[in-house]
Amino acid sequence: MDVQRYISSGIIESHVAGLVSDSEAREVEAAIQQYPEIKAAADAVRLDMERYVQTWAVKPPAGLKQQLMARLNEIEKEEEVMPVVEEKQEKEEEETRFIMPQIPVLKMWQYAAVAAGVLLVVSAGMNVVYMGRADALGEKIAKAEEEHVALSAEKSAFADRYQQTQKELDLLKDPAFKWIKMQAVGKHTDIVATICWNPATKEAYILPQTLPEPPEDKQYQLWAIVNGKPIDAGVFQLGNMAKALQKMKEVTSAQVFAVTLEKKGGSETPSLDQMFVAGKVAG
Amino acid sequence: MGTALTYTEAELVLGLKSRSEKHFGYLYDHYSPALFGIALKVINDENVAGDVLQEIFLKIWRSIERYDTDKGRLFTWMVNIARNTAIDTLRSKAHKQGQKVQELSSNSMGTEQFAVHQAVDQIGLTKVIEQLNKEQRIIIDLAYYKGCTQDEISKILDIPLGTVKTRMRNAIIQLRTILKQL
Repeated sequence: MDVQRYISSGIIESHVAGLVSDSEAREVEAAIQQYPEIKAAADAVRLDMERYVQTWAVKPPAGLKQQLMARLNEIEKEEEVMPVVEEKQEKEEEETRFIMPQIPVLKMWQYAAVAAGVLLVVSAGMNVVYMGRADALGEKIAKAEEEHVALSAEKSAFADRYQQTQKELDLLKDPAFKWIKMQAVGKHTDIVATICWNPATKEAYILPQTLPEPPEDKQYQLWAIVNGKPIDAGVFQLGNMAKALQKMKEVTSAQVFAVTLEKKGGSETPSLDQMFVAGKVAG
Repeated sequence: MGTALTYTEAELVLGLKSRSEKHFGYLYDHYSPALFGIALKVINDENVAGDVLQEIFLKIWRSIERYDTDKGRLFTWMVNIARNTAIDTLRSKAHKQGQKVQELSSNSMGTEQFAVHQAVDQIGLTKVIEQLNKEQRIIIDLAYYKGCTQDEISKILDIPLGTVKTRMRNAIIQLRTILKQL
């Protein structure tokens, strides 16, 4: 420590004049204990202050000494009767001095306790609010998931539909395919179905179009007729497939295509009286 | 000080510790002007200062057993009791900062009202008052007699907080120079 600098800082004078804080005062007292030069400086300042105090000396009012001595006698008497109490009082007085600076700390705790209480209430309130929100969010999430599932299903349905449409488009564009329009036959009117057939690859498709919905136990069956002889080309469905091209069995050759209503799973030979539509292959 | 009977400080302390009223009377005769001067400077009211002086002496009487000669001179110890007691009274009266300054300046200037009671060298006192400039006097008095903090002094004197300590040092150096002339 730079003692000279410490002395010239004015902290010693400020300490003696009672200007510094408690912590600073302890610091100065420690420095006084440690450094003789600082102690000498402090003693000198104390002496200055005492002499300054002396210059302000004023003789107190005349009656004061008598009053004081009378009070002193009273105290002495009380002390004789109950010296313990007096001693205790003194101690209390002393203790009060020491406790004083602690009051703000106590207050601080009180404030802290109140603050903690307030925080707890606020936190509890917020818990309720957020729990409510969490519930709402949970519901929302469940709903969103549901929607997501529905949308996914829809999407895959669309994808299927798209693939189907694409396939149909490909067929349309492919010049190798022949399109055979089958018209209503006999008692049936206003019924149309179309065959799409590639003689080279033998691929065959049917578009049921306006064929009426069959009874529960029946199914439509396609026949490829060559030289009057019907060859099974497979059964097909209506319902949601009514507007779609459905792939049939391979057809090697055909002059005429015809559709009959058969028992479920199809028949080996067509029930000619149940022929709904038929169409001649061009060329 | 004009009393035929004189005690050394050690004799006085011993007498007080043995609860001798005679020694206590001697103490009062010799130190009451200095201690009353402190009370008066702090409180600035002769009646209240008189009550405070009684409190000061009662405290001295009650706590003389705890006085330790090794820790410092008896006068230093009593001056501290006087100052603390007076400042505590001042604070309990809830004096405002503004009042402190006002009282102080009026007190510094108007000590004539107590001139009749003046026990010490009146010429010396006047010299001190004249030679310490007002700010130096006020900074010492605010700290010592009013128990003001550095922060309060910085505000009252309108000087930066950081310079309060150096101002205090300068004031006491000046005071020392003046006291040497007495």
